[in-house]
Amino acid sequence: MKKSMLAALILCLVFGAVAAAQEPVKGGTFRYALTTNPRGMFNPVLYTEAYDSYIINVVYDGLIDIDENLQPQPKVAKSWELSEDGTSITFYLHEGIKFHDGVELTAHDVAYTYMVMLHPEYTGVRYGNFKVLSGAEDYKAGLTDTVPGIEVIDDYTIKFSTDEPYAPLLVQFGYGILPSHLLAHIPVGELETADFNRNPIGSGPFKFVEFLTDQHVLLEANQDYFFGAPNIDTLVFQRVALDALPIYIRQGRVDYAEISPENYAEVSRINGIDTYIYEALNYSYIAFNLRQERFNDPIVRQAITYGFDRETYVEILREGFGIVANAPMPPSSWAYTNEGINEYPYNPELAAQMLADAGWKPGAGGVLEKDGMRLEFDLLVPEGSRTTEQMVLLFQQNMEDIGIKVNLVFMEFSAAVDRVDAREFDTFTMSWSLTVDPDPYGIWHSSVPWNDPGFYNDRSDELIEMGRTETDPEKRKEIYAEWQRLINYELPTMFLNYGVTIAAISDRVKGIETNPGPTGPLVDLNKLSTIWIED
Amino acid sequence: MWRYIIRRIFLQGIPVLLGFTFLLYLLLTIAPGSPVSHLRGVPNVDPSVIAQREAQLGINESFPVQYGKWLIRTLKGDLGLSFDSARRPVSELIMERMPATILLSVCSIIVGWGIGIPVGILSARYQYSIFDYIITFLAFVGISVPSFFFGLVLLYVFALRLNVLPAGGFFLAGEVRTFVGYFQYLILPTLTLGLSSIASVARYMRSSLLEVIGQDFLRTARAKGLSENVVVYKHALRNALLPILTLMGFMIPSIFSGAVIVENIFAWPGLGSLAIQAVNERNYPVIMGINLMFAVLIFIGSLIADISYAVVDPRIRYE
Repeated sequence: MKKSMLAALILCLVFGAVAAAQEPVKGGTFRYALTTNPRGMFNPVLYTEAYDSYIINVVYDGLIDIDENLQPQPKVAKSWELSEDGTSITFYLHEGIKFHDGVELTAHDVAYTYMVMLHPEYTGVRYGNFKVLSGAEDYKAGLTDTVPGIEVIDDYTIKFSTDEPYAPLLVQFGYGILPSHLLAHIPVGELETADFNRNPIGSGPFKFVEFLTDQHVLLEANQDYFFGAPNIDTLVFQRVALDALPIYIRQGRVDYAEISPENYAEVSRINGIDTYIYEALNYSYIAFNLRQERFNDPIVRQAITYGFDRETYVEILREGFGIVANAPMPPSSWAYTNEGINEYPYNPELAAQMLADAGWKPGAGGVLEKDGMRLEFDLLVPEGSRTTEQMVLLFQQNMEDIGIKVNLVFMEFSAAVDRVDAREFDTFTMSWSLTVDPDPYGIWHSSVPWNDPGFYNDRSDELIEMGRTETDPEKRKEIYAEWQRLINYELPTMFLNYGVTIAAISDRVKGIETNPGPTGPLVDLNKLSTIWIED
Repeated sequence: MWRYIIRRIFLQGIPVLLGFTFLLYLLLTIAPGSPVSHLRGVPNVDPSVIAQREAQLGINESFPVQYGKWLIRTLKGDLGLSFDSARRPVSELIMERMPATILLSVCSIIVGWGIGIPVGILSARYQYSIFDYIITFLAFVGISVPSFFFGLVLLYVFALRLNVLPAGGFFLAGEVRTFVGYFQYLILPTLTLGLSSIASVARYMRSSLLEVIGQDFLRTARAKGLSENVVVYKHALRNALLPILTLMGFMIPSIFSGAVIVENIFAWPGLGSLAIQAVNERNYPVIMGINLMFAVLIFIGSLIADISYAVVDPRIRYE
């Protein structure tokens, strides 16, 4: 009796505390750990490093936001409208959004931001995202002075159009909107050296205060933020040495950090720290050079995949941090399917049998041979990741069991990239980070240079092209499902695993996404404007 | 003397620096990997963009043209713009990190010499004593242990286990910059960087003093009836210190380059992380700028060493 009363009392207290915790508290500082120093290119159309993008994300707002399910949500644009034929998107902007200097944000600023990326003298790397806009290529080539595909209807309405329907376009409108009144007078070619990039002014929830190289970036809450002033007063991106990160977390000197699997056990034991593991939009792979005849037969690629114990790799070497991959779309993508996908479970007997059936016979040194071709090849391995180095050793050993000889060639990353670009490889291992939209064109279409394996397949190209022009999401999903089944059969690369990210966050921080999707507990930092800190 | 210094600078220093930068730039351009390799990881990047970027950075030109342009710009006092996305002037990137590197280096020189010299003297004074053996042993440990390992051990003990010092880094945003604060942030990297100089200075000091102690004029001093302490600390020490002072000139550059490694372990906001990042990314102008600066430092260091020889030892004259 006493015990149950005590339990009831405790329950009341706990619920009381929980109820109280639901009220956001104002004030406080939130410290986000960065293990690499930002460059100081705080300009949404010119940055290339992820570390700069963190600051950009909170200083600027885009037309849309991407939510935890990777779906577009209104932001600066309160709504949008797709035309019947799928070739244009009209955005309707909120009225009264102000930049940090008090000037109102209008459709002209939006047009300026996107025109810069198409300008002939633009020095950044985002032209490829928007070259489908009508007239963009002529403008880029300097043939015209306008882009018909970008049309300001009035101060709060802007229309983007393409010649053909282009489904991946919408989710790319998240780029922070630049204040044209501060930048339009600077020639686009000189924009990259403008002082503005180090003293950015946007319309986002935080105002930039200071950037101390190799130390921190300091931001303060934008009290006039259109979507409501943030609860926290101060936001700090704190530079921390990678080796010291667990100590920083333990000492409470940072509130949020992404940590590596090696640190997980240590960090998850710290009192007052919650860890979240969520799927990342990436996958790693071993690519075959399909320009070599010995890799031409899909049976060979499938046998190699059956012959590699990827379950052990993910469960033991990666300590379970990852998901075995069998196609190039991660489960966190809306286009993911497992229907009709062969999982290629580890089966060395089957692998050996498949190769024998295909006419491969043991030759010199027990290595399989057929018609003068030999299954002895180099595997190019970029240095730097212990997990990868262990993985390739396991691969080498597994292959030896089925009569395939793998010679490991370790190389520094950019040297390895050189070899891949020159197509001077037999096989190599790397990983791809993917965009929010699942369109695989940029990596897998036969016309693109990033198709490193040299995978040229008419049906694949056809499906990829159909996927880009289909605007009905359900039909698009079906197209990508068929494409994944095709790739899963053909295996132009052997898929290893989809990655996961681990975030460690202080339990003083409230209002985060506790069931995070690929954008994490802070939903790509969008949550920073609504979280609060309890002491 | 002045003629000697001028000759050293113009006939030796400048040709050496020219040759050095030429070779370095050549190595950079023939090494595998390109300054635009990382653009590959940008989703949806258009191939034309990469070609355009190569043209903007000027790396599509041949080595002699690239080097020539770099040299002419550098002679005009302009180290160029960094290759990374922020395109900041290299001189600015170096200058904003210099103070932290100098602070760390000076502190570790003070620690290294401040501890190394007395230890070396005592070690020589009490040669073959227990103290001498212990010091000799510790000096070998200090010279042999790589600084990154020692740094990690210090982090583990003082930051993680004892939790009395910050785990590297520098002041947090908003933290008041007090003297005690500087001390807390400086002590671990300073010890890490100072360790190997303590060890080698102590060894040099010991052998230098022992060499002098064995000389005839000290036997004379002892024969006059001077006490051993006066003999060693007054007569021998002065002579033994001369070579040690000149050693300083040679050790300054190695302190700076050692700082590159130590700064990375402790996230010290100096040149270290800039240098390593630049190498990984093939950021030619930054690599050239930092190395040119180090080369000049080394040259000045050795010049000072040579001059100080002549200053402290009247028997040496440069013609």
